[in-house]
Amino acid sequence: MIAEGSKYQESRISKIVLDNPLKSIFIPIFLTFIIGSGLRFIIVDDNMMAMLPTKMESRMTWDAVQNEFGSTESIFVAFGNEGENIFNKEALSQLWDVTRKLEKIKEVEKVTSISNIPKIFSNDGFLEIEDLQKNRELSEHTIEDIANYVNANSAIKNRMVSKYEDYFNIIIQPSPNVPHDILRHRVVQVGDSLLSRNYDIHYGGIAYITGSVPTMIKKDISTLIIIGLGLMCGVLVLNIRNIFSVFLIFSIIIQSLIVMAGVMGWITYYTGSKYFYFTIINSSMPIILLTIANSDGVHFVTRFFKEMRSGKVTRQAISASIDKLLMPIFLTSITTIAAFLALYFAPINQLLGYGVCLSIGILYAFILSVTFLPAAISFKKWNLESISISKESILEKTIRNIGVVIIPNPLKILKTGLIIILFGFSGLMFVKVDVNIANFFKKGTEFRKSIDFIDEQMAGTMDFRVRVEGDVKDPGVLYEIEQLQKALKENPSINATYSIADAVKQMHFTLMDNNPEFNTIPKNGNKISNLLAMYSMSGDGDDLDSVVDYNYNISLITALSSMMSTDQIISFVEHIHSHVNDLEIIDSVSVTGMGVVIRDLIYLVIESSIISLVASLFCICFITSLFFKSIAWGILSIIPLLSAIIINFGLMGFSGIYLSHVTALLSSVIIGVGVDFSIHYIYHFKANRSKGKSDKNSTEIFNEVGYPIVLDSASNMSFGALIFSNFIPVQFVGGLMVFAMFATSMGTLTLLASLTEILKKKQIL
Amino acid sequence: MRTFVPLFCSVTISFSQSGLDIAQKLDNKERPQSVFSRISMVLTNSKNKSRENILLSKSNNIGKNQIIWVLKPKADRGISFLRKEYEDKDNEIRMWLPAFNKIRRINSNRMNDSFMGSDLSYEDLNSRALSDNDYDRLNDELFNGIDCYILNVISKPELKSAYSKHTLWVSKKNLTILKEQSFGKNDELKKVKIYSYKMVKSYELVSKILVQDIQKNHKTEIYIDYISINTDVDSELFRESSLKRIPRL
Repeated sequence: MIAEGSKYQESRISKIVLDNPLKSIFIPIFLTFIIGSGLRFIIVDDNMMAMLPTKMESRMTWDAVQNEFGSTESIFVAFGNEGENIFNKEALSQLWDVTRKLEKIKEVEKVTSISNIPKIFSNDGFLEIEDLQKNRELSEHTIEDIANYVNANSAIKNRMVSKYEDYFNIIIQPSPNVPHDILRHRVVQVGDSLLSRNYDIHYGGIAYITGSVPTMIKKDISTLIIIGLGLMCGVLVLNIRNIFSVFLIFSIIIQSLIVMAGVMGWITYYTGSKYFYFTIINSSMPIILLTIANSDGVHFVTRFFKEMRSGKVTRQAISASIDKLLMPIFLTSITTIAAFLALYFAPINQLLGYGVCLSIGILYAFILSVTFLPAAISFKKWNLESISISKESILEKTIRNIGVVIIPNPLKILKTGLIIILFGFSGLMFVKVDVNIANFFKKGTEFRKSIDFIDEQMAGTMDFRVRVEGDVKDPGVLYEIEQLQKALKENPSINATYSIADAVKQMHFTLMDNNPEFNTIPKNGNKISNLLAMYSMSGDGDDLDSVVDYNYNISLITALSSMMSTDQIISFVEHIHSHVNDLEIIDSVSVTGMGVVIRDLIYLVIESSIISLVASLFCICFITSLFFKSIAWGILSIIPLLSAIIINFGLMGFSGIYLSHVTALLSSVIIGVGVDFSIHYIYHFKANRSKGKSDKNSTEIFNEVGYPIVLDSASNMSFGALIFSNFIPVQFVGGLMVFAMFATSMGTLTLLASLTEILKKKQIL
Repeated sequence: MRTFVPLFCSVTISFSQSGLDIAQKLDNKERPQSVFSRISMVLTNSKNKSRENILLSKSNNIGKNQIIWVLKPKADRGISFLRKEYEDKDNEIRMWLPAFNKIRRINSNRMNDSFMGSDLSYEDLNSRALSDNDYDRLNDELFNGIDCYILNVISKPELKSAYSKHTLWVSKKNLTILKEQSFGKNDELKKVKIYSYKMVKSYELVSKILVQDIQKNHKTEIYIDYISINTDVDSELFRESSLKRIPRL
């Protein structure tokens, strides 16, 4: 406490900042502009595959498949009218037009529909191939022929016509490395412009989902973050009761965000590293930095008012605030930075860029809190009679009263806390993981309806791909491919499968005058070779591109399925692997596809969450132990956040909220904010003890740090606005955010406070 | 009345001033009566993946009769083609599929089909009758530093062809076709062919052809590994029964 007019010894940093206020304001603003100008180099990447390490088996297979067979992430456009047969003159003319217009889009590699697929037929005892739909305008007789051909070929029908023959489906394969959001936009533009007048249209497919969802989430989150910021502003204004101070806190938040984004852009520009691309994971970065930067600002401003209330001299109050908060804010910043840099050990590569950029943002928030903020405060003439300085807020008084209850009863508080933690711990085993972005939408929403339509009426959205190495001219290899397909079809969610074995069987059957006895794989390898040679002469060389490579040595089995749950995906992939192990002739088989990617992402999200949690807790414990020169303090510093994490994940388990790459951000928020709270508490506890105030130590600490901690938490709870999101996991984040803030602040003010009190009494501390 | 003979035999040209004159000179240029050759055909797709075929070809009557056997890949060994050109009726192509023991006659309406999956169609294998086309001479150009006539060969409307026209780069010095562009019915560029030559006895014969299908981004490189000209190739060879017997080189 600083009495008015008493001489206060300023620290060097306070002196530099307060003697050079203009420099302390404008140098950071200038730096913000310079670093922030890197924003223009940010590359948005909506490719989910970027999250998988390049050396992971499914990723390597995925890359090989994309290289050999082109993109497997397609967009489906289904159109028709429910209950009306789609095989009619007008619909086929429209199909012709849309197919040709889609083929002209430069982002499109290949379009497949009934209007451009080949028809294999027998002519004079030989195999011939021609276009199934030769012209735009068709006679009734030709339409009947097309319908008959499609109905006789289940592999075509399953993919290109709906179950009740009332919709056509067009499959669009993207060109290599095309951003899916751009492709999606172009396809929808063509589809809507040509079909929306007369038909009901449904879009689907992985490329459509991945091209739509990140943009939709970004738009949704951006709106809700603005609402959250508004609420946060309201909470701060109500409690701090000074708009200028709240404006300064927001200046710190905004500048830190700009610098974080700018750094991301500059690093991408100079290194070209994909780890620094902005992916769906990175969409959580602004919220995390907001909460951390807010914490720094709130602690400083509330401390300043406290000092003003007692000392009543602006410069001295600022100086005292700097001196008292410089070290704890620095310590909270470096521990949080260390925690985020620990993401380096996480197997999802993108988390490295995430950790580095966030760390720079946190560091910048610290710098601003001890330079820009005090300098800006020093410029204002403060009215000592104003309500913000002269009177404590209601929240501040409430915290003081809570402290009076908690501190004298540490054992009771500790026991209650432990019971809650144990309860949370038991919920951990019920936590489920789901990273399938199709499940981001509630049933009944427009987007989900389209996905469900493709799943129920067409072949389905999800795909599994089996890459087979082996000479397809060898009948044994084709036979094993056929067996693998049968094994895939055993799963009721699988709606269609196709491979080179199907194509060869169809050629064989057609060449042998459509005799069903020959709807088989020829037993002689030369026959297979002759069939393929015949096809290459009469058909388009690209027709077989999606099932076999150019040298007939690598082939691809595709299985399309309806959406599966996480457990179903895991057991199905195991089922495929068990059949793969039984193969004798095929040289090598590897499995990939969106289904497998989702399974691997699930493992990665779990692994990344555990690794980053353990590594960051270790880093925090290590740094605080070092700083406070005691392992006991190190352990105590992580207890509030560890307990908040346990309770939070336990709640997720009990309430059925699944862990995904979106909800996983909660642990980062808890660590980022939670460590701030415990360090502020411990720092002040130790600082007051060293001044010989041990008797009323805990109550005083509670009063000093309790208010900024609770105010910080309350303002961060504004992000509970995310509960109004259109996306299920973002709604979860909103709800959990409120809970996490409550858990972290209470963890510090109950568990940590009571533990320090008990240990102090036992003279362990 | 041919402007140039089949690809696997030889390509010969002559000189004149107008388009038609140049075409006539090309047609009249002296060429071998019979050719026996071994050909490597390397196909490369848009993903830069390649596969190779080895073929054996015999022709006589200045390329009007030709028979081609596939030697490699091993699984396709024995597939063969018999091509015969007639003045008074449609040309004839037959194919032998050994594994199925079947001979197929390739209809005239399938002339646009690919030869062994290459960028050459059956139509490309046939000679072009001088009277089937109109000829325009365009401004001369250099091609690879060689002074060339540029000749537009325009298909007459009654001609059954997948092409609307061809543009030829004809060396003024040797009267050899160095480059050819072929355009589809909508005047879109479909194929580009580049020719290389070597002297065999007194004839300048094709040693390499690069064919690029512009729309499919696919290419075919044809190398004549071995060539023997004006040997005794009996006309009796050009029968269906010969398709089943691969001769020795």
